[in-house]
Amino acid sequence: MKKYSDLEYLKLTKWQKFLYKLKMFFVGIPRAIKNGVFAIGRFFKNLIFGIGGFFKNLCLTFVRGDWKTKVSYVIMGFGNLMRGQILRGIMFLAFEGVFIFYMITTGGYWLSKLPTLGTVGPHEEYNAVLDAYTMAYGDNSFKILLYGVLTIFFIIAFAYTWYANIKQNKTAEEILKSGKKLKSGKQDLHSMVDDQFHKTLLALPMTGILVFTVLPIVFMILVAFTNYDGAHDGYNNSLFQWVGLDNFKTMLSWSGTGGHSYAATFGEILTWTLIWAFFATFTNYFLGMFVAMMINKKGIRVKKLWRTILVMTIAIPQFISLLYVSKMFAKNGLINLFLLNAKWINQAIPFWEDPTLARVMVIVINIWIGIPYLMLIATGILMNIPQDLYESSRIDGANAWQQYRKITLPYMLFVTGPYLLTQFIGNMNNFNVIYLLTGGAPTNASASWASGSVGHTDLLITWLFKITTGAESKYYLASVIGILVFAVVAVIALIVYNVLPSIKNEEDFQ
Amino acid sequence: MKRILALLLTALMVFALAACGGTNDPKDTGKTPDTKAGDDTQQSGGELAGTYDIVVWVAENAVELTKTQIAKFNETNTDGIKINATVEPVSEADAGTNMVTDVEAGGDIFCFAQDQFARLVLANALAKLGTNAASIVKEANAAGVVAAATAGDELYAYPLTADNGYFMYYDKSVIPEADIDSLEKLVADCEAANKYFSMELNTSAWYLASFFFATGCVSEWTTDADGNFISVNDTFDSPEGLIAVKGMEKLIKSPMHLSSSKGTEFASGAAIVVTGTWDYEAVKEILGDNMGVADLPSFEVDGKEYHMGSFNGCKLMGVKPQTDAVKQAALHKLAQYLTGEECQMERFEALSWGPANLADQASEKVQSNPGLAALLAQSPYSVPQGQIHGSWWDIAKVIGDDVKAATDEAGLQAALDNYKAKIEELFKLDSSALLFVGAWNDWNNADDADTYYLVKADDGTYSLTLDVPESDYMGGRIVNPGKWDNDKGFAQVTTGVELVKDLGDDNPDNNIVFVEAGNYTVTWDGTAVTIVKN
Amino acid sequence: MNNTVKSPKRHMGLARSRAISNTVIHIVLVIISIIWLIPFVFILLQSFRCESAYQVGYVVPQQWGFDNYVSLWNSNFPKWYLNTFIIALVNAVAQTVIVLCMSYALSRFRFKLRKALMRFMLVLGFFPGMLTMIILYRVLKDIGLTQAHAVPGLILVYIASSGMGYYVSKGFFDTLPKSLDEAARVDGATRFQILRKIILPLSKPIVIYTILTAFMAPWGDFVFARYISFENSAGMNVAVGMYNWLNLDQITTKYTMFCAGGVIVAVPVTILFLCLQKYYVEGVTGGAVKG
Repeated sequence: MKKYSDLEYLKLTKWQKFLYKLKMFFVGIPRAIKNGVFAIGRFFKNLIFGIGGFFKNLCLTFVRGDWKTKVSYVIMGFGNLMRGQILRGIMFLAFEGVFIFYMITTGGYWLSKLPTLGTVGPHEEYNAVLDAYTMAYGDNSFKILLYGVLTIFFIIAFAYTWYANIKQNKTAEEILKSGKKLKSGKQDLHSMVDDQFHKTLLALPMTGILVFTVLPIVFMILVAFTNYDGAHDGYNNSLFQWVGLDNFKTMLSWSGTGGHSYAATFGEILTWTLIWAFFATFTNYFLGMFVAMMINKKGIRVKKLWRTILVMTIAIPQFISLLYVSKMFAKNGLINLFLLNAKWINQAIPFWEDPTLARVMVIVINIWIGIPYLMLIATGILMNIPQDLYESSRIDGANAWQQYRKITLPYMLFVTGPYLLTQFIGNMNNFNVIYLLTGGAPTNASASWASGSVGHTDLLITWLFKITTGAESKYYLASVIGILVFAVVAVIALIVYNVLPSIKNEEDFQ
Repeated sequence: MKRILALLLTALMVFALAACGGTNDPKDTGKTPDTKAGDDTQQSGGELAGTYDIVVWVAENAVELTKTQIAKFNETNTDGIKINATVEPVSEADAGTNMVTDVEAGGDIFCFAQDQFARLVLANALAKLGTNAASIVKEANAAGVVAAATAGDELYAYPLTADNGYFMYYDKSVIPEADIDSLEKLVADCEAANKYFSMELNTSAWYLASFFFATGCVSEWTTDADGNFISVNDTFDSPEGLIAVKGMEKLIKSPMHLSSSKGTEFASGAAIVVTGTWDYEAVKEILGDNMGVADLPSFEVDGKEYHMGSFNGCKLMGVKPQTDAVKQAALHKLAQYLTGEECQMERFEALSWGPANLADQASEKVQSNPGLAALLAQSPYSVPQGQIHGSWWDIAKVIGDDVKAATDEAGLQAALDNYKAKIEELFKLDSSALLFVGAWNDWNNADDADTYYLVKADDGTYSLTLDVPESDYMGGRIVNPGKWDNDKGFAQVTTGVELVKDLGDDNPDNNIVFVEAGNYTVTWDGTAVTIVKN
Repeated sequence: MNNTVKSPKRHMGLARSRAISNTVIHIVLVIISIIWLIPFVFILLQSFRCESAYQVGYVVPQQWGFDNYVSLWNSNFPKWYLNTFIIALVNAVAQTVIVLCMSYALSRFRFKLRKALMRFMLVLGFFPGMLTMIILYRVLKDIGLTQAHAVPGLILVYIASSGMGYYVSKGFFDTLPKSLDEAARVDGATRFQILRKIILPLSKPIVIYTILTAFMAPWGDFVFARYISFENSAGMNVAVGMYNWLNLDQITTKYTMFCAGGVIVAVPVTILFLCLQKYYVEGVTGGAVKG
């Protein structure tokens, strides 16, 4: 692959530039891998040295520090309190108290159970007097895993705070030594709305994300290494336990009776998911753009009315509109009845029963849902394109198509590049449209039985849903699929990010 | 340094959350007994008097009736039980899935269709009936329904209805009376009239099995006491099965076939709908005097007639396992009442649900109900549903789409082969399914049992290393939960026989019982077990 | 110049061709509008049907009336509607605050872990959210916010995860010139004062956009909300409650009620959306495309 000089590169057309970048990306992969390996090596080298330095630093601070600092190694915030930073001191101390209290009362229990996920299962007891069987429950694997992970989070937070406490003592000592004054509690509070304002702003949102997004994701990743399913729910029937990489081996193995392996099923669904995401994204993109251009064209009346009608599909919840549309296209639905009565067809069209037709239909109906969004976005962007560009191109004799190709499209693509990527990923996980329209139907006979009932229009995300709610509730399998979906999305995002110019230069827009 | 503040906030939030999970003693279920009154008497004499707050899940149309029935139970029961029930509409199809998802949050009493039974037993979502209750229920209800509520030898649920079967509703204005015995004629009538023949063949194994039962095919499953499926006798993939799919072809490939089981399809172009008694009122409202009901028709293959069969199933009422014996007993009393002769009759009168109670079944009113009469006419051709593996429904329903797509006999045969392969796969040994179960004191003491997974090596053998603790009985065996009668034990040990005890032929378990405690490696190569002491 | 000479003639031709093309476009737009509106008109018509409650093969009712709306009023629907309204309202306010905090901090401040944080959240977004449903359910159950108390539970989860959706408003803030902040800093304003006095007044479109999307989302949640309310009708939102009406055992008696409920849900949301459409467009074009 020839590498162009800057001058040569600038001579290329936009499309060629894009192709060039794409090629360079793939050509660059081996080197990137090499660099990656070295980077990992460096990372570990730095890590080891870093850890060494870290502990050396801790020891030095201890040895060189005054007695207040030394006590702070055990009683957090002691230094702050003694040096007059009451607010900080109390907060450190309170945190330590809470941590110790938690670890003694409950944290220690969860942590100690984590390696086994519990040992005592439930059992049945018979009460002869009342002639009734009751259950006596034992450990709860689910809670052990959940609160075990939470406890680890907590320990990490504590270790970090402890370290911050040490560092503060060190800086405080240095500041006092140099004869300056420490920040007072009032100044601390003031900086919260000023130079440290971003921390105040981020505290609450990040806490929410940590507890309600990060923790569940960590938990679900861990579930992939257990045998958690309907028959091992960890409490009511039997405990679940660690099974190592077994689930991944099952998922990625090609062996199975009659060629019905998980890997083949996964591959099949992934292929359709990608096809769907591609068409769902680009049909909406281009048709939405055309509709926007039509409405924005000079001389079109009641622009607002057209837009209003289109955005109805955004405003009305999908579970109402999509379910209704799904019924409309049923074999004895309104569409078929109308066509039959009008004698345009002799027999009902099996919209949802033929695999190919069903796939086409979900893409077409998705246009109905998706165009309005694009129409709105494109309306705004198209207005931003300088009108004199069109004016001068018209003077040069360009027709409408040429104007579109040379001005509108490149501008749109440049500005909406990142949006396209998020749309693509969003469509890969577009649960609503598939679930409400077809529920995955028609069924796919060649899929492995163990993967539940898989349909021709099932996406990975609806498949995952079916597995968790299916006959055997295989949560561990859903979790493995989730991790694989993550891997696929990450690879796509990585490629696109390296090719698209407009994402990298965040500052360009400011 | 507002980082600290952020961290503290985080920590406090995390703590609050953790504390919530931690406040309960882990052994505690987090549930306080709902009894409010009569505590003293309960402890002394096992008296059930008290007020109980419970949740009841029933089908939507039975909500009001159930409320009245519970009120009546409160008045009439002699134990002093006061039930304060929240009755929620939960469809019988969803109840099973919901209970398995979270038993604790599920209804204390819930109704479900028979096919969910084994799954619920396996998930410990059903409380076993006491000895007295079991004998009363067994005596009062139809044997088929009692069998449907039985796992091993124990009764786990109360019979609610015995009408979970299907037959044919038709529009007399479209279908001539003379044609109702022949599938071919019915399809032709529908095609001529441009009306739909509605039978849910593409998405439901329950309806699709009709054709297989017509030719004498069976799919009979057996479970052990825990609700695990241990074997199957399935003859769908056979010459008879091929005849069945040839019959199915006639309907499913017709342009006027509609895959639906909703009685209301009559309002949108259907002339025939195959469904059950629950749609009786709806169909009657739509068709009025034109409504006809009949048993399913026959189809003809190679000059021979086959009368379409059906499943003959039931709906059951279950009680959720409780930790409090008093509440458990009170709930059983209520469930027993709600499924008793009187309540089943009320349900029949209000909702046309066919009773499972033998006395109700014999009553004149029930005998003369046209929907149930059609079900009765169909009954010689029906098959008791029994216990069926949860995955079977997913595996078998594919046959419909497969048959529709098939272009020749080879295609039809492929559909059956595909089905067969998946059924076999259900019982196939694989690494994740091979376990070594060790019970270090006594097999009957579940607390001490440990389960170890055998790991598959590259050479195809399965092995594991385990520590056998010093105890009275250091035994175990290799099992596959999918097939309990395929256990491997002492008879398969070829190498290391000296390390295990020979319990003699009179011991049917044939367990591997170690002579002394220690660390062992157990390997299974498909035919023989090798034991090595480390 | 040649152009000026030709212009009158060319103008005439242009005008005619423009008139033709505009007519064609008008026709196309009318067709599109019909396609877009048909399902909604049908739902509206079905909701007034009194002669039967199940699906039928025709659209125009034979017997018109408000029966379905009356039975809606007598069912659990008002309770569900109120639940959803509360969720939507609280969600709209709290989510807007959170999203604005998050996006303002990430747009205006340059701190050490900023890039890492943004990348981390991007990566988090790659995990299918469907997976975490079951664990969120368990967490909420332990705090006691499921079933009958599903409303606060749902609010908590919606708000807690709303920080992830900062992209659009960050994109909007990125377009506001930084010189505004700098000028105010010189005058001695704190960061908080800048946000309150300078940035917020300029952010009307994005604030309204965020409120609108946050208000609309809870109306359509039938998967997660169903899980959290776990068959307890006291804790259901409209989507869950109405979705249950489509079960096989209810559809024969509740189908037209479903349509009526759909109308009641759709009307206020639609009106709100149409009124605030202008800001929505400004917000989404200002922010969405910048990622």
